[in-house]
Amino acid sequence: MKADVTRLLPRPLLVIVTVLLCALVLTPVLYIVLASLNSDVGVASGEFWPGTLTLDSYTRIWTTAELSTGIVNSLIVCGVTAMASALLGTSSAYVLVRFSFLGRVSILRGLVGLQSIPGTLMLLPVFVLFSSAGTYLGLTVIGTRWGLFLAYLTFALPFSTWVMVTYLRSLPRELEEAARTEGASTTVILWRIVIPLSLPAIVVAGIFAFLLGWNDVLFASVLTRPETRTAAVALQVFGTAQEGGALPVYSQMMAAALICAAPVVLLYLLFQRYLVGGLTAGGVK
Amino acid sequence: MTILQRRPQQQAVAEPHRRGVTRRQRPLWLLAPGGVLLVVVVAVPLGLAVWISLIDLDQYTLRRWVEAPFLGLGNYAESLDTALLHSIWVSVSFAVLATAITVPIGVAAALVTQNAYRGRAVVRAIFLIPYVLPSFVVATVWRTMLQPDGVVNAWLGGLGGLWLSGPRSYWALVLVEVWAAWPFIYLMALAALQSVESEVYEASAVDGATWWPKLTRVVLPYLRGPVLLACLLATLNHINNFTLPFVLFGAPAPEDVTVMPMLVYVTSFQSLRFGLSAAMAVVSMIIIAIPLFVYLRAVRLDVHEQEARR
Repeated sequence: MKADVTRLLPRPLLVIVTVLLCALVLTPVLYIVLASLNSDVGVASGEFWPGTLTLDSYTRIWTTAELSTGIVNSLIVCGVTAMASALLGTSSAYVLVRFSFLGRVSILRGLVGLQSIPGTLMLLPVFVLFSSAGTYLGLTVIGTRWGLFLAYLTFALPFSTWVMVTYLRSLPRELEEAARTEGASTTVILWRIVIPLSLPAIVVAGIFAFLLGWNDVLFASVLTRPETRTAAVALQVFGTAQEGGALPVYSQMMAAALICAAPVVLLYLLFQRYLVGGLTAGGVK
Repeated sequence: MTILQRRPQQQAVAEPHRRGVTRRQRPLWLLAPGGVLLVVVVAVPLGLAVWISLIDLDQYTLRRWVEAPFLGLGNYAESLDTALLHSIWVSVSFAVLATAITVPIGVAAALVTQNAYRGRAVVRAIFLIPYVLPSFVVATVWRTMLQPDGVVNAWLGGLGGLWLSGPRSYWALVLVEVWAAWPFIYLMALAALQSVESEVYEASAVDGATWWPKLTRVVLPYLRGPVLLACLLATLNHINNFTLPFVLFGAPAPEDVTVMPMLVYVTSFQSLRFGLSAAMAVVSMIIIAIPLFVYLRAVRLDVHEQEARR
């Protein structure tokens, strides 16, 4: 019995640990769902099981918080970031993997190192730089989606490139070499051979870039105006606004939180297999 | 990324003649767009950060920052006088503590999902939930649960108290970070477990080893390298985490949870002392650079040379 030989833990221990861990994860998750179905008063008084079940929060949230604008902004900025960084990452990674040149290893090391630069270090100079573009060049960057897009694209690029580097390494180069002997240019090789063959990895790189933007609060809280706020900032502002008010609308907040989490959860469910591989490949969120 | 463990079967024979074929047409221009972006949005701001940390920049001098008065190391001297040392301590202790707590949880989770059983896919998906949820959602939920009249205090009864201010806020931060971050260790440990060949288990079973010695002497040593690396990365991520404390406590946060990113943020965008805040940011970067260099040395980037030619 092979299964018994490779079994790591005795069955009772396995069951106990699994149940404990699932409870640890599912209690807060269950809480979000239940609280979003509860009334605002019920959540504020500390109920776990709702006294009244209602979908009110889901209908009212669209008028009380700027959630719809936020979600549209997030989708636009993050969607464009995802596509741009996947494409740029693929072409950069192709060069890094297939050609040798001075400084290649330094760039590879930089790709890994750049992911750990604290956002708080970059935020202020990026802010100063973007506002200088307004003062000196007459370009408005702060408060527009463009500024946010530029920032996200840059911070997503090292990771996207790294994902593609690890993938392209495992891709056999015979096809490209054949195409090259037939006289195909690099652009043709990229479009016709490399990109079609590495679509799964490109999807992963794109999704991670999308999530980086979707999950960001730091840059979005400084670089946006109310009209260009992302979903994350809309939720955070909505949450802070509850502190001073007479009746905190916690149930609506939980509904909004669930709505903000939905696209992310959906992406993971759809692409779980690829994404988990990408996670361990890149070693970062 | 290929981590510490070696895979001898992949170190294929080198084929030196291959390289020459493409050498003449290296399309280095493909690196240009990414390179330009990284220079404009990373390299220039990094230099700018250092420059700002040396000048007296505040809301009055911001519009014409080029002409702000030069201070030299004045900002650094002031930053060490103020709350920075305290927040370094908070950040580092919090990060190390969070990593230390997540390791046993993550490794245990990897061990229970390594062997196949019916329903394992569901369990694995559940284990990923905290990791998948955006930080700002996790923080919003816990913020609601930890309210003075919230559900956590309702459960704790007499043991309840204030979680979002005062000394307990530190433990609230650790708790939420652990909840959100343990699946990272789990994923890295699981990846390492899966690379252990089944012959290893079979051999130890033939030797008659029971599960505990098998686990501690055979399986766990395989995990040491990858998990150590994951710890390093996780600690860096904890130190850099801004979203969680920001959404959980708001800015400015209570003193007990003023981590470095929070202090830098509050100093620049609420106190509007930009120069001072840049100095703090540079100091925190230096602190982060230490584990980062250890990490960069440990990662084998040269794997390229062997794997590309398989």
